[in-house]
Amino acid sequence: MAFESDNKPRPVSAKVVISGGFGVGKTTFVSAVSEIAPLRTEAKMTSAAAGVDDNQLVQTKTSTTVAMDFGKITVDEGLVLYVFGTPGQDRFGFMWNDITAGALGALVLVDTRRLDECFNAIDFFESRDVPFIIGLNQFDGAPQHDPEDIREALDLDPSVPIIRTDARTSDLALDTLVQLLSHILESLSAAASKEAAPVHHVPDDREAPVVTDGMRTAAMSALAAERTG
Amino acid sequence: MSHVDTEAGGSFVRSYLLTGGRTRSDAGDIAIEAMVAATDGSEMPRDIDLAKIYQLCAEPNSIAEISAKCSLPLGVARVLVADLWGAGTLEILETTRSDDIAIVRRLLDGIRKR
Repeated sequence: MAFESDNKPRPVSAKVVISGGFGVGKTTFVSAVSEIAPLRTEAKMTSAAAGVDDNQLVQTKTSTTVAMDFGKITVDEGLVLYVFGTPGQDRFGFMWNDITAGALGALVLVDTRRLDECFNAIDFFESRDVPFIIGLNQFDGAPQHDPEDIREALDLDPSVPIIRTDARTSDLALDTLVQLLSHILESLSAAASKEAAPVHHVPDDREAPVVTDGMRTAAMSALAAERTG
Repeated sequence: MSHVDTEAGGSFVRSYLLTGGRTRSDAGDIAIEAMVAATDGSEMPRDIDLAKIYQLCAEPNSIAEISAKCSLPLGVARVLVADLWGAGTLEILETTRSDDIAIVRRLLDGIRKR
């Protein structure tokens, strides 16, 4: 069998990342925006386990399977957007690198009842200069918080948009994707104009954002202690 | 038609498409969103897993899709695709740069219309 098509489509592909804690609605969101039923791909991670090398009693290697769900949007015949959800059970794992390398930006989904679940994702994207927005996912019965209170609790830079979303509703989820792309566009435009016209830094009137990692770090230490304890 | 990557002199283009401008060429460098398509005029591989990938790539499919649809772990799908690419059977299509403003505008326009 040979393919002899003269006008085979040759689309260019791009990707965005949907992140956040376990059970926050990442797969639901992917499903809401995707034109195909979400697909799942798996990777096996082998890590050395503690213990003696006794082939009868102890397995010296453990294999963990990490799964991620993703969807697809064909924007036009020459452009496809992939939407990748980060694996919930793989907090800083190798798959994060695969998923975020070359990504245009990320949506961090937040359940306001479990704010601490998103710290890892925020730290990850901040440290890699990946543009991201926060999506407060609506859960029935969850309290409605003022986004600015959330910003304070998460130590977020004023430039990071915080919006309400509902991963169960395609329209709202697509609108959230539009807001993410708008934020990415703004970030890129700002970076480009900075490059095009290098000027001395003029401090503006706004108070400089005070970003301290103290709170998140403390919360993460607590989480880590919980996991190991 | 731009089929330079099926010509003998196309190795530069291929490397570029494979690595997005980076110089390393191991399978780990193929982006998970990179789309893969059967090269025009190529023959279906005899190996059953490779044949499955090849048939899937009659239409462009990303590495992640190949992994999911062929039930192969991501790393395995990557290596097999890299092998087929090396043999000239598959070609790897371009992925966008993360700072491509024109692409982001196009995505925005396209998704707003939905």
